[in-house]
Amino acid sequence: MGGLLVARPAPTSSVVVVPDDAMAAARGAVDPDDAEVGRRFAAGDEQALAWAYERWSGQVHGMAVRAFGPGPDAEDVTQQTFIAAWTGRARFRPGESPLPAWLVGICRHKIADAWGRRERQRRETDAAMSQAQAAPLGGSGPGIDSVVADRVLVLDELDRLGQPQRGIIELAFFADLTHAQIAERTGIPLGTVKSHIRRTLERLRSRLEGDGAALPA
Amino acid sequence: MQHCLPEQLALAALREPLPDDDAFHLAACDLCRAEVASLRRAVEAVSVPELADPGPSVTPPPAVWGAIAAATGVTAAPAGMTAPVAAAPSAAAPSVGPSSEETPGGAQVLPFRTRRRGLVLVAAAAVAGAVLGAGVTAVVRSGESTEALTAVALDPLDDEQASGRAEVLVREDGSRALQVDLDAPALDGEYYELWLIEPQVVDMVPLGVLRPGSQTFELPAGLDLGEYPLVDVSVEPLDGDPTHSGISVARGELDT
Repeated sequence: MGGLLVARPAPTSSVVVVPDDAMAAARGAVDPDDAEVGRRFAAGDEQALAWAYERWSGQVHGMAVRAFGPGPDAEDVTQQTFIAAWTGRARFRPGESPLPAWLVGICRHKIADAWGRRERQRRETDAAMSQAQAAPLGGSGPGIDSVVADRVLVLDELDRLGQPQRGIIELAFFADLTHAQIAERTGIPLGTVKSHIRRTLERLRSRLEGDGAALPA
Repeated sequence: MQHCLPEQLALAALREPLPDDDAFHLAACDLCRAEVASLRRAVEAVSVPELADPGPSVTPPPAVWGAIAAATGVTAAPAGMTAPVAAAPSAAAPSVGPSSEETPGGAQVLPFRTRRRGLVLVAAAAVAGAVLGAGVTAVVRSGESTEALTAVALDPLDDEQASGRAEVLVREDGSRALQVDLDAPALDGEYYELWLIEPQVVDMVPLGVLRPGSQTFELPAGLDLGEYPLVDVSVEPLDGDPTHSGISVARGELDT
């Protein structure tokens, strides 16, 4: 790691003269490709977290800003994404998906969690309001709150999918590709793509209906 | 006709158009429509624009990395990252003492306030292996109409090659200036900018365009240097955006 740079002589004065090409060479020597960053990240190499942030924090923060606008909420999502990625790195499989895709998946969870917190706050506020007004609390049927809860469940279930099922359904959900485009993109036969999509949607449905039934009314 | 194949119903749940036969059947069959609706619940939960694949990239403000570094205790730092560790809760940061690389030998004459830049900069210094320090000397101007108030070394951040020193000069009329000596490579298509930044690394005062060498910048009257003690040199692209690029190459903290 740092050893790669140790060879650089310490300056004897405040004037540091380093030829441009030497700098470029030094940087090239310590800049691994994305796959290598992913492997080192999984192995717990701290420099890999810095590299991952350098390369992909813009993507992650772009998503957070798209969901919440610029400001503390978006910054919190970005921050929580990288912290969760680092502390949960044992779950990252470098062979299965690229690190940026994994980070984006975590970011989706953090956005959904933030929505969930907002929704709970809103309900608490509403409940307090109705209590103050001594008005009966209306039944909370399938509204925004249930979509918020569904979202957390679906994202959670996606994490349990193996490949290529997960990659296929994510292309359908998040890249808005048709099954034909997914087949073309992944090289997986059309019929296989279709049956994976069906089985995954059925699995997600069971999860939603199972958990939904268990929820208190 | 027969019911649609389950595969077709799944595609319909994803709102893909079906072949005409299937589409006609689906429009008329309650059973198939119910199947699509039940499969669509998951699609509608997550297939929303906010969760779509990343769109335009947005650089997070520097404090975000500071908080990540503090929470994870990671001492490595992204290239060119400013070091807002002071903004992070110190309790979250493990106590890592300054490494020996942080204080290279040399004529470091001026007293420096203990820097709370902590983790990130300790690592930056260790990686750089070429920390300024040897060349820092206190310049006391005497007999002239100016008096040096305080001076600070500008340490290179991460593996950047920029370093230098900054000195606050006070004229007889009470006006102040910041004299900066910058050792840094010439830039092409970018420029250096000088900033005074508060410890939380949120508010900042731009002092102007900087080039390698020695220059003097007027300080705004009434500006409290205690509030903006960080002297920061950034690299700015020629993009017309007046805000800090987030890419700092050298920084020091004024001891006021």
